[in-house]
Amino acid sequence: MNRGRTGFYFILPWLIGLILFTLFPLLAALYIAFTDWSIIGNPVFIGMQNFFEIFRDSMFYQALWVTVKYAIFAVPLTIATAFAVAVLLNNQIKLVAVFRTIYYMPAIVSGVAVAIVFKWVLDPNYGVINSFLAFFHIKGPNWLYDPDWVLPSYLVMALWGASGGLLTYLVGLKDIPRELYESANIDGANVWHKIRYITIPMITPILFYNLIMGLIAAFRKFTDAYILGGAGNEGTFYMVYLYDQAFSFYQMGYATALAWILFVIILTLSIIINVTRKYWVHT
Amino acid sequence: MKRILKSGLAVLVIAVVVLSACSKSAEAACGKGNNHFIFATWAAGEELKEFNAIVDQVNAQADGQYTIETLSIPSDYYIKISTLISSKNAPDFFWMTQELISKYAELGAIADVTEALHASQRYHPDNFYEGVIASAFHDGRYYGIPWIANPIMVYYNKNLFDEAGIPYPSPTDDWTWAEFIETAKALTTVKKDVNNNDYQQYGTVIDGWPNIETFIWAGGGDIIAEDGVEILLDREEALRGLDILDEILSSGITPSYAEVSSLGSNNVWFEKQRAAMFMGGIQDNFEKKISRLPEAEQFEIGYAPMPVGLDGHAYAFDWTASTVMSTACSDNPVALQALMDMTDGFLKWKIASPLKGEVSEVANIDPLKKDALPTIEHSLKIARSANYIPEWNQINNKLWVELYTGMLNKPGEYDYRTNAKEIAEYARGLIAQRK
Repeated sequence: MNRGRTGFYFILPWLIGLILFTLFPLLAALYIAFTDWSIIGNPVFIGMQNFFEIFRDSMFYQALWVTVKYAIFAVPLTIATAFAVAVLLNNQIKLVAVFRTIYYMPAIVSGVAVAIVFKWVLDPNYGVINSFLAFFHIKGPNWLYDPDWVLPSYLVMALWGASGGLLTYLVGLKDIPRELYESANIDGANVWHKIRYITIPMITPILFYNLIMGLIAAFRKFTDAYILGGAGNEGTFYMVYLYDQAFSFYQMGYATALAWILFVIILTLSIIINVTRKYWVHT
Repeated sequence: MKRILKSGLAVLVIAVVVLSACSKSAEAACGKGNNHFIFATWAAGEELKEFNAIVDQVNAQADGQYTIETLSIPSDYYIKISTLISSKNAPDFFWMTQELISKYAELGAIADVTEALHASQRYHPDNFYEGVIASAFHDGRYYGIPWIANPIMVYYNKNLFDEAGIPYPSPTDDWTWAEFIETAKALTTVKKDVNNNDYQQYGTVIDGWPNIETFIWAGGGDIIAEDGVEILLDREEALRGLDILDEILSSGITPSYAEVSSLGSNNVWFEKQRAAMFMGGIQDNFEKKISRLPEAEQFEIGYAPMPVGLDGHAYAFDWTASTVMSTACSDNPVALQALMDMTDGFLKWKIASPLKGEVSEVANIDPLKKDALPTIEHSLKIARSANYIPEWNQINNKLWVELYTGMLNKPGEYDYRTNAKEIAEYARGLIAQRK
């Protein structure tokens, strides 16, 4: 009993922080979503009005569609990229530690700094990418200034920063029993057979984790989108739209309702993925 | 286990009690109850040092009647201000941009200073340039004291005009938008640099600046009527103004939207003599920047007013900041005195004073602006801003994201007339939701 109490006291600071900075704001947000509140002044309870207005708002659907489109492409691409890089870095080659550091660095760089640098990288006239294409006499697109190229712009940034899951894949790859590969070698399996029938199935728990985290990150995309925007409404991601509602248009109640809708969307997708895991995640 | 649960419950109760105790139910007293006023500003760095120098001077002159303390909020200014107001801890005075005055006034967050202005000899509304004081006006009352006016005017490169053999526009007489466009076309040409490579020189540069109001006014139209209720964006006059903007964007006299940022920002095109004319605020410090360039890159700057629109009037978009007062200070005469004393200090600080008859002060603040004085005075007289309403930010967001960037990205092709009508309907919907 004393040990239990001692343990409780050890976690007490964290528990108080959880209540004050997570639980309480969560409960407050639950109430605010049903109010008309401009931050200034007192919230006025209006029931479901915010939600009705959201579902009548064309910008809500636009922002959601921009975000969904991004998630559909960015999540698989970044997972595949990080996995491929991890497979390559899993080999014992010279300077592999240096390569691991270089490939992981994008994950620790500030999002604001990345956005500012990519503003230059994606410049239609003097940016790195278009200058490289010009070397081959290819006229590069207008990237963030052309509505059709805004999504590819953000996918380029996502691929550059795809190393977020790299460490988890490396750990997962290290955990695969070497005997499986040795047995496969004996049976005459080539590299592709080994990846397809051993590596991928054994790494599916890590893939599952990164799929959920990647989905959450894609739907919560904000920092670079807020700084870079994009032509027309193609750069207005859901979180940017939510931020504008709260802090530019002084509609905190409406914005909080948007936040809850996003929560439900992400939760639903997470549940769907979790339900399907028994079909594809090796345990 | 039961004890642990009981302990957890106790923690929860304590947390709720602590939070309840932290919340304030009553608004903070004006000047903390002893005329010690907090003045919030977005100034930082060098600007903050200058601001604090004014505060020190005003405090010295107040001789103990009141003291002012600076609260610098260099980033996320309005988020912090609104959070402070929400927590009933609003600063006593704070700067506010013109676009937000009606919003904050509507929410009851800033004090009505109408009576104080009318009672003041110096700050009577009639002493301000009309278009400038209008920016602090909402629903028949004044909610701030403007301390700076920054209308736009046309800066032009005299050297490029001479090269093209084009006479200078008058510094004060009106020229029309048609004349402006023709002049810009005559100045748009291909030139050779020092390495004998071709480069494009443009007549002007438009990349979202000047704002869309400038062009809507050019057609004789407006976005919102003075009553703050009627939407005028889809009227033919406003659409004709958009026709003018589309003509400018599609006639090749300005670099494309995607190209502008390649030099960093729009003003750099003028500084590097890639654009012969630039519509900028009277505060823009081209004179200082150009004087610091190598002699071979320097050029002489000329000044002209904004062109006359199709209704025969010229309008210079003006950005004004006002100092507003927390509602807690509404009945505090010492606070009002402190506010006016601070404004006295601001008027000699930056270009330009919003009061009539003080334009000569511009040359004292910045001697390099001496030659621009006639145009500056003319621009102050024709200065105006949009008729801001509480829903302005939402309407303006649509005007920029959809209408203006649509026109910038597809000059000559974008169906701006239909889009303007859609935004007008959206604006009407917002106004209809007013309680």
